[in-house]
Amino acid sequence: MLRFWLVKLLRATVTLWLVVTSVFIVLRTSGDPVQSLLPPDATIEEIEQFREAWGLDRPLTEQYAKYVVNMATGDFGKSYRDGRQVTTIIAERVPWTLFLGLTAYAVAVLLGVPLGILAAIRRNTFVDRLIMSFAVFGFALPNFFFGILLILLFSLNLRMLPSSGTGTWMHVIMPAATLGLTTAGALARFTRSAMLDVLGKVYIRAAAAKGVSFAGRILRHALPNAAIPVVTVMGLNLGALLGGAIVVETVFAWPGVGRLLVSSVSSRDLAVVQALVLMIAATMVVANLTVDLLYGVLDPRIRVASKD
Amino acid sequence: MFSRRDFNKLTIGTALAAGIPHTANAQGRPTLTIAVDNLWSTMAPINGISTTSLRIFPNFYERLIERDYINDPNGLILKPKIATKWEQHGKVWHFEVRQGVKFHNGEEVTAEDVAFTLGADRLWGAKPFEPRGKTFTEGFNRVQATGKYTFEIETDNIDNNIPGKLCGYIGLVVPKKYYLEVGVDKFGQAPIGAGPYKVNTFRSAEVMILDAFDDYWGEKAPAQRLIWKIIPEYSARLAGLVSGEFDFIVNIPSDQVATLKGYKNVNYISRTADNYPAFAFNTRPDPVDNPLVDVNLRMAMVHGVNMPEVVKALFGDETFHPAVPFNFPEYGKFYDPNAKPRMTYDPQKAKDLVKKTKYKGEPLRWHITRSFYPNYEPAAEIMIEQWREIGVNVQAIILDNFDLVYRRPFHLMNMSMSSSFIPGDPYQPLWLDWGPTASRSTASWKTWDPSPKFNEIGAAFSKASNFEERRKLYQALSDEWQDITPGLYMWKSVYNWAHRSGITFKPVADSDMRMHGEYLKLS
Repeated sequence: MLRFWLVKLLRATVTLWLVVTSVFIVLRTSGDPVQSLLPPDATIEEIEQFREAWGLDRPLTEQYAKYVVNMATGDFGKSYRDGRQVTTIIAERVPWTLFLGLTAYAVAVLLGVPLGILAAIRRNTFVDRLIMSFAVFGFALPNFFFGILLILLFSLNLRMLPSSGTGTWMHVIMPAATLGLTTAGALARFTRSAMLDVLGKVYIRAAAAKGVSFAGRILRHALPNAAIPVVTVMGLNLGALLGGAIVVETVFAWPGVGRLLVSSVSSRDLAVVQALVLMIAATMVVANLTVDLLYGVLDPRIRVASKD
Repeated sequence: MFSRRDFNKLTIGTALAAGIPHTANAQGRPTLTIAVDNLWSTMAPINGISTTSLRIFPNFYERLIERDYINDPNGLILKPKIATKWEQHGKVWHFEVRQGVKFHNGEEVTAEDVAFTLGADRLWGAKPFEPRGKTFTEGFNRVQATGKYTFEIETDNIDNNIPGKLCGYIGLVVPKKYYLEVGVDKFGQAPIGAGPYKVNTFRSAEVMILDAFDDYWGEKAPAQRLIWKIIPEYSARLAGLVSGEFDFIVNIPSDQVATLKGYKNVNYISRTADNYPAFAFNTRPDPVDNPLVDVNLRMAMVHGVNMPEVVKALFGDETFHPAVPFNFPEYGKFYDPNAKPRMTYDPQKAKDLVKKTKYKGEPLRWHITRSFYPNYEPAAEIMIEQWREIGVNVQAIILDNFDLVYRRPFHLMNMSMSSSFIPGDPYQPLWLDWGPTASRSTASWKTWDPSPKFNEIGAAFSKASNFEERRKLYQALSDEWQDITPGLYMWKSVYNWAHRSGITFKPVADSDMRMHGEYLKLS
């Protein structure tokens, strides 16, 4: 078991190193931060001063070595934009993204899982088709487009909700709905198919024959057995939520890491982008590890197999 | 950080966020929220030069002298601000500083602060804090405080335009002691000025908040607080304005103007700015087979596009094409409304000129920065079709940033030129921007080598202090530029805003939003 986890940990470390290296290469080959951060008609002297101040005049290998060592020691450097510590800037934004992401995730789970169960129970009926149409609509509609539609409807026309930013609980409704809808659609579809698979099993019929109530059969026997693929999708969608936050936070001017990433990429704020990408990659790695762990909890066969 | 206060707002905030109009404080002055598309990364006066920061600068910095757009639509009247009087004695200008003006940290503005603001250490010395200042202080050789409230500027040659130059970025006065204490980078993040508002918060990727500065020497700020908030998405800006969340929005796409005007509770305003989007021809043999080294082809391309119609199609009557380059209305006495353009739309002449060249239809790369200048890409599409009609094959290469635009090979490149450095004088676009020290003539991406004749006339022009002599040299310089045709000025920039009803706002020719004095009245 220990060896199993060590291998997992090593793979995660290699993944993170690859991410760190790719980000370094891509950011330095896709554009010069000096050109983005200084005005188009900045003087040569001004440009040189900036390069020297931020070490951009050093050879790439030296920049890379320094960058990896600093990352390994938790020193993410300072933002080119405002000179503040990257960790401070990100720490200001993470809670906002967590708040939005968890709210959206709650929307997705509370909407997607029950609807998936309902669609499975009412298989091939009008209810099933209606729910599946909603699911397809959810994950087919680009969230930037859906977000703008919500703004036009609820802010511009109905004037019920604030159009952007933060301040009251009402500000989170539209971004969370936009972000959560995509995941809800995917969850509903996966829950339905997993439930259909389980509902046809012998042990469900046996439970019915033993007189277990309908709710008991669904909640105690079918749902736990259908949970593994659903949990997998939930884990994978945690990453998708972060990706979606990049768009949604920009549309709704939500001050989270997604919007920070967009503005940092467009201004080539290398230090911030590097740290953010690493953070997002780490989140994905941790989410996948958590899913692996949950497999063991949910399915005793996996525990037994790993012991063997 | 996400504080307990933020949490309380989110959990127990019961006020209807939507539909709440601007909020007034106990003193009766409202908070105004301005939804902007972006903020610049630093608010230091010179390092922070950009359209987005200039919008805010005049609210928290105080200028030495200000262009008065209330009494002159072109802003050619100079209004004393921190500088109350000025006199010229040959190469030396003597200034008096207004007494009793306070910086936001409570310290008094003195001549020492002004001398530092304009001095070598900050702008034009060997290693200045804000090196771009050199561009605006050419010819300065001494700036000195001669008393607590007097200072002098001495230049290498007689320079009649010093007061005009002080209306620009270099004239935004900074407190010497604080600036030196924190350094230019930290100053740019927490600037202190002497304007009618003081900086409360600046987070460049999110918001800038200014509060009324009640020790301001002049008319008190009409708003208690100004919030410049980044709302990247136009739909959200529009919705926020219409629903009353925002008081102002900026940068309305031209195809959205009609829709915006349809809302009853908002006012749309626009005005032309002292800036001209343009393109430069790459006139140099780099790449070696560059057909644009032939002036006939460059002239053919100017004759081959119907710029007045392109501008009308995209902007309606909001702006115009400057048919005679450098003959701009904002130049007052230099401006000749009857000047006849040398290069008008004439497709036949354009075709004839193309025939004179060795050009065989090879593609010409036009590097364009994505969405940087409003309507530039649609204009390029139309122009490319018109060039196709005369047998010139141009390809628009849309690129994400200027770094990519500057990478060779290219044949045409987008750019813009400001005309505001010296009010009423063509010094900046003609000489500062095209002369031998300009980036256009020196950078790795340079697009031309000024001719010896251009340099000769320009050097004389830059030193000429007599108006008639200066005017003649300006015209000769403009003629030489047109003989070479290193570019084409496309239209005069248009800035636009929309605000809720109940506000009277007077825009000025730069992008600055003066949220005080005669420029902003609230009812």
